[in-house]
Amino acid sequence: MPFILLQSQSPANLPFLFAAFAITWLVFFGYAFLISRRRQELEREIREMQPGQEDKRDDTPS
Amino acid sequence: MAATKGTSSPFPAAGGTAGGRFPGLSGGLVILTAALMLVNLYLIFMVAPTDAVLGHVQRIFYFHVPIAVVSFLAFFVVFVASIGYLVTRRQRWDSVAHAAAEVGVVFVTLALLTGVIWARPVWGVWWTWEPRLTTTLILWLIYVAYLMLRAYVPNRRQGAVYAAAVGIIGFVDVPIVYYSVQWWRSIHPSAVVGPLADAGALEPIMRGTLFFSLAVFLLLFLYLLLERTALRNGEDQLAARRFAARRNNPRSPEEPADA
Repeated sequence: MPFILLQSQSPANLPFLFAAFAITWLVFFGYAFLISRRRQELEREIREMQPGQEDKRDDTPS
Repeated sequence: MAATKGTSSPFPAAGGTAGGRFPGLSGGLVILTAALMLVNLYLIFMVAPTDAVLGHVQRIFYFHVPIAVVSFLAFFVVFVASIGYLVTRRQRWDSVAHAAAEVGVVFVTLALLTGVIWARPVWGVWWTWEPRLTTTLILWLIYVAYLMLRAYVPNRRQGAVYAAAVGIIGFVDVPIVYYSVQWWRSIHPSAVVGPLADAGALEPIMRGTLFFSLAVFLLLFLYLLLERTALRNGEDQLAARRFAARRNNPRSPEEPADA
């Protein structure tokens, strides 16, 4: 059905198009950011709970 | 913490589990996905032709359909991993099921949102209780309930078993969503992907763009799944360490790490 395909079109519905893409990106970036931040916190907490961590800190020259 | 000193830890090093089993793969995936997403946007806005009937708003289709398909895949992963967990009772299956359910909820939420935004200019309403939309909303509710169940059941192991049951039974809704446009009178367009798809329904260039977009969203799903599974493993690891610390040193259960 190539006869119904045009290369130009009036921009009447562009706000809807923009909204759909913007929301999609906001949600994906927001979710990826939350996972990444939580993982960093977890890694820090786990590192701090590592056995022998206190010894290492004590040995560090001030 | 001091109590665990000198004992061999049953848990891998922090960089192991919490850092993910495949840190290199995850980093590579995010770069590849970002690069391909740029190509995808170019195809959607510069290469794919504008639909003569719907106009530019039809380009939502190249996000809406792949996101919906990937959400089905995510719930299939939940289904398989839940069976795996119930059969083997191995924690890994549960972690994958939990991660896939959460990522699947993100995807199906976006499928609903992009569908609603597309419906307004095309159907004249934001929402209508037609079969495809209604069954998709039910799918969303099932997996939100799945996540709530995990959050609220006090015993984590018991929660995993209940969640696995919901993950298996809930998957029944996925084929219902897919076939709803055929089984009931629906104003939603018929399927363009899968067994119900009509080969001539789309122009080749539109079909190519759609499948490229689908591949990119699959990569994005894989990346998020790996990241979320690693996070869940890290949470388990931390919980186990805290438990061990409390058991060995009950007088300072919540000793600050930097004290």
